[in-house]
Amino acid sequence: MTKFMWFQCLSIFFILVILVLVCVLEDNLVSSALHDVRNYCYQIEASVEENGGILNNDVARLVDNMEDNWFKYEWNLCYMVNHKSIQEIGVEISKIKTYMEENDKKEFMASLELIKLYEEQYHHFMGASFHNIL
Amino acid sequence: MIKKLIFYYTSNMLTIVLRSILIYLIVLFLYRLMGKRQLGQMQPFELVLTLIIADLATIPMAEISVPVLHGIVPLFTLVLLHFALTLLCKLSPKFSRFVSGKPVIVINPYGIDYRALKNLNLSIDDIMEAMRGAGYFKLEQVQYAIMETNGKMSVFPKSEYAPVTVGDMNLDVEKSVLPINVVSEGKIMNENLKIAKIDKNNVLQILKKAGIKKVKDCLILSVDKAGGVFAQEYNKKYTTFQIEPLGQVSE
Repeated sequence: MTKFMWFQCLSIFFILVILVLVCVLEDNLVSSALHDVRNYCYQIEASVEENGGILNNDVARLVDNMEDNWFKYEWNLCYMVNHKSIQEIGVEISKIKTYMEENDKKEFMASLELIKLYEEQYHHFMGASFHNIL
Repeated sequence: MIKKLIFYYTSNMLTIVLRSILIYLIVLFLYRLMGKRQLGQMQPFELVLTLIIADLATIPMAEISVPVLHGIVPLFTLVLLHFALTLLCKLSPKFSRFVSGKPVIVINPYGIDYRALKNLNLSIDDIMEAMRGAGYFKLEQVQYAIMETNGKMSVFPKSEYAPVTVGDMNLDVEKSVLPINVVSEGKIMNENLKIAKIDKNNVLQILKKAGIKKVKDCLILSVDKAGGVFAQEYNKKYTTFQIEPLGQVSE
C-alpha cells in the first residue's frame, strides 16, 4: 500500500463516517424539533380549552416556551435544512403572539392549526420516504 | 439604517465568498482523492461524475438559504459511489466492460469497419479527425485504429509508415538520462538535491562555472547523470556545458 492509497482509504472511511453522522444527526434534530412543536401545540390547545380563552398566563408561557424552543432548534436546523423550508413555523409563532395580544382567538387557533399542518408536512418532505426518493 | 443595510448586504456577500472558498477546497480535495485520471482520460462513469459534481457544487455556493451540507453530502456520496464502481471494475472485467464499454477496432487491414462505426455513433469525419490527431493523414497509412473506452483513438500504423526508431537502425546511442532541476526561479529545490545526490556547494560551483553569481539570479539549472548542465540566468541566453559525470545522480 502506497501513501496515497492509505490517504484514499482513510478519506473514504472519514467520508463514510461523516455521511452516517450527518444523516443520524439530521434525523434526530428534525424529529425532536418537530416533536416538540407538536407537543407545544397540543398543550396550548388544551390550555386554551381549560382556561376558556387565550388571554391567560398559562397560554402566554406556553407560547413563549414554544417560540424559544423553536428558535433554538431553527438555529441548528439551518445547518442541515433549507432555511426557506422551515421559516413558516417561525412566522406562524410570531403571528400567534400578535393574535394573543389582540385577543383574536379565531386567528390564534387557525395559526396553531397551520403550525401543526407545517409540522406534518415537514415530516413528509424531509423523511427518506419512497415518495421523496422518487 | 444605511449602516445596517450595508452590513447586511456585505455579510451576504461575505457568506458567498466564504462558501465558495469552502466548496472549492472540498471539490479540489475530492478530485485529488479520485486521482489524476479524473483530469484527463475519463471513462463514461467518470465523465458523469464530473458533470454532476460541477453542478452540485454551485448550488449552495450561490444560494445562501441552502445549507452547504446540501452540496457536500451529495458530493461525498458520489465520491463513495465512484470508489465502489472503480473497485467493482477492478474486481470484475465483465462489470468493467458493462460500465465503461470495451475498445473497438474501427479500422482494420481491410479498411474502415462501418458496422463498428455505426455502433459507436461515429462518422467517417470523426475517424479522419482522430487519425489526423494521431499524426496520420491517409487511411492507407493505418493498419489498425482502435476506439478506446475513454473516447480517444489509438492508431497502429502500417510498418512502412511507422516512425523509424533508434532500435530499427541498430545505432549505439547513449542511454537517455533524466535532467533534474536543482534551481528553479532563484530557489534551490532541496527535494531535487536529494534525488540528484548533490549538495548546495555543488550547485554553487556549477553556477559559478555557468557565470551566474548568485542563486537568486538563476532562472533554471538542471543537471543529469551524464554530467550535462543546462543553466539560464534571468533575461539572458541559456548555456549548456558538460561537467564531470556526477555519477551519483540517480536516474
